[in-house]
Amino acid sequence: MITKITDTCISLEDGTETFTLLEKPVFPHFHDNVTKRPYISSYYEAGESIWAYCQASLETLADLCHDDPCFGCYAMIFRRLFPLLLSSGQAKNVISYGLPADHGACQVFQNFMSFLQEGNALTALPQSIFSFVSLNAHTGHAFLYYLDAFPSPAAVCDAICKVKPGGILILYTIKETLPAELTALCARAEKDSFSACTLYTLTVNEAIMEYAHENGTEAFLLCRSAEITKRANDLQPLLQALLAGAALPDDARLIAAAILQQTEEILLSVYDFLENDELPIRANNLKEAILNYSVGINGSYDLTAYLEKLTQASETFFTAIQKEFS
Amino acid sequence: MNRYKMCMIPALPLENVQLMKDRVVFPYACFRAFGESLRLVTKSTGNYPYLSYLEGAQLVTLPEEQPHMEAAVHYVSEHADEIDLLFLFGARGEYMELAPTYKALRPDGILYLKLDANIDWMSALPLFHKPFADFLQSCDIISCESRLLQTLLYKKWQRPVEYIPNGVYYPLYPATDDVRYEEKENIILTVGRLGDVQKNSLLLLYAYALAFPNLKESWELVMVGSITPEFQADYEDFCKRFPPLAPHVRLTGNIADKQELYRYYKKAKVFALSSCGEGGSPNVFSEAAVFGCSVITTGVDAAADMTDNGRVGRISPDLEDFDGYAKELTALCNDADYLARNFHEMRTYIKEYFDYERLADRLRMLIELQALKRRSS
Repeated sequence: MITKITDTCISLEDGTETFTLLEKPVFPHFHDNVTKRPYISSYYEAGESIWAYCQASLETLADLCHDDPCFGCYAMIFRRLFPLLLSSGQAKNVISYGLPADHGACQVFQNFMSFLQEGNALTALPQSIFSFVSLNAHTGHAFLYYLDAFPSPAAVCDAICKVKPGGILILYTIKETLPAELTALCARAEKDSFSACTLYTLTVNEAIMEYAHENGTEAFLLCRSAEITKRANDLQPLLQALLAGAALPDDARLIAAAILQQTEEILLSVYDFLENDELPIRANNLKEAILNYSVGINGSYDLTAYLEKLTQASETFFTAIQKEFS
Repeated sequence: MNRYKMCMIPALPLENVQLMKDRVVFPYACFRAFGESLRLVTKSTGNYPYLSYLEGAQLVTLPEEQPHMEAAVHYVSEHADEIDLLFLFGARGEYMELAPTYKALRPDGILYLKLDANIDWMSALPLFHKPFADFLQSCDIISCESRLLQTLLYKKWQRPVEYIPNGVYYPLYPATDDVRYEEKENIILTVGRLGDVQKNSLLLLYAYALAFPNLKESWELVMVGSITPEFQADYEDFCKRFPPLAPHVRLTGNIADKQELYRYYKKAKVFALSSCGEGGSPNVFSEAAVFGCSVITTGVDAAADMTDNGRVGRISPDLEDFDGYAKELTALCNDADYLARNFHEMRTYIKEYFDYERLADRLRMLIELQALKRRSS
């Protein structure tokens, strides 16, 4: 893939395929330029025009990233950012996730943004789920999200929540298929595709924001907390009955263990957000104590020690659950 | 109850002696508890006389001309429909192809990995290497041998890891039935490869010397196992430095005859472990425990599990603390009431939590839970 730059057009070329990135605006439309820099060469002012800087930027991008399989994505991102950055004299905040801060594409975007306006910022987030937590909602004019780095629907929704209404989320990928859970969301996006590179650009409106709130990490955590609490509530009377030696169906212990196994897995799915990171193993310990007690019953062994461990594990687990989720 | 066609494939070819170790004995206990058949699939390393102890198990010898694991993958490809439960032993790269091959052919089958690992080894695993991560991911049930390691793995892997300790298969130990505390003597016993770096045998030897003047009664130290030339020299040096102690310290050399070894366990009141690198509880611990020996151990990963957090044994945490180990040893040997009481406590504890027949029953239930999970998803 190469970048072809002429006086009037910048495009990507791959074999016989061409993708037009930018065209130099014709004179009558130059009033669209609301930035302090001249959009095109001016008859009356000296200095570098935006168009000239665009040409230079895309040339630099090609120099720095032509070997990068995402090169086409970066070029198309530039195309999508371009109108947004020129849309007003307001300083723009662009957030990027999945691209290291010292990456050539980041440098090119940042240089171009600084050229347009000193206050423009490109913030490259480190690859961690906590990156999003540290950001306020609705603070970005654009969010660039590399899907292949972290193809999590919840994280994509979190990213949407960080974008201002009317701003854009750009999802980019070099994979052929989208994660199934993102298909519906991406169907609402504008799609740019060239060679192996694909971009989905979503303009954040009310409907998109609502979808993001419903499917983001916060909603996920609330839902998971409710599931854990429900299971703990189901389990507690069952365990009390077991410990009291009440007559229960034969499969009661296995059901209790199954509930704990589910609880353990749910706890592990929210592991990074737990205050007490030993909760999953507490669930496992209790499951083990129930199974050992079952072994004792099946084998008609002395149950004293098994009941003692079951009581201990049960107390430890429910105390920890209560502390974490109440 | 469902009965399973079981298969155990080691990462490296099995040796005869390993037929009596956890990698084979636990699958065998499972086979006896809920198996329809058990195949031990390996390239041959010679004769397998111990197979006679494993009635009903079938040894499948892989062809000589292929490397062990390549042949094992081929075997699984050909026989996956005859394997409902596949036992793997060790989180080893050798399994990276075998595990996904089995799961691809038998998504309904159960892949059980017994880690046989210590914390150092688990901390060094290449979890970012995708084929290795996929191998771990493909395992339906993973178990480790110490609670300390289990806690670490939950934090590191964020997936369920069961605690199934190295245990005892009682039918292999009929000699434990008639053990009586009254027949025991003041013997501190250790069993292992003496002089091996992992076994840290010098710690026990010199801690015994430090404890010796403080012991209320006369105690003998019996060290059973093959001896490295270095340790032989150390022992001779020890005898020269402490002539009064020399008659009380006995090195037996390797004892291949199990009955003779059991006679030592029967007679010893105290079993001493000085290792510095055990993952789970070593086989010799289980053997000593079923014979009612009180245990003193260094702070290996499974120390708390072996002693029920210090209830049925003593822990000297620091691997290089000769004084500390000697102090614990002295306290243990001087507490005759504890030793007598603990004879029963230890045997009960090991029976309740280390009996492979009971552990097999727990594994059977874990497999049932997997089946429930699959049905509900």
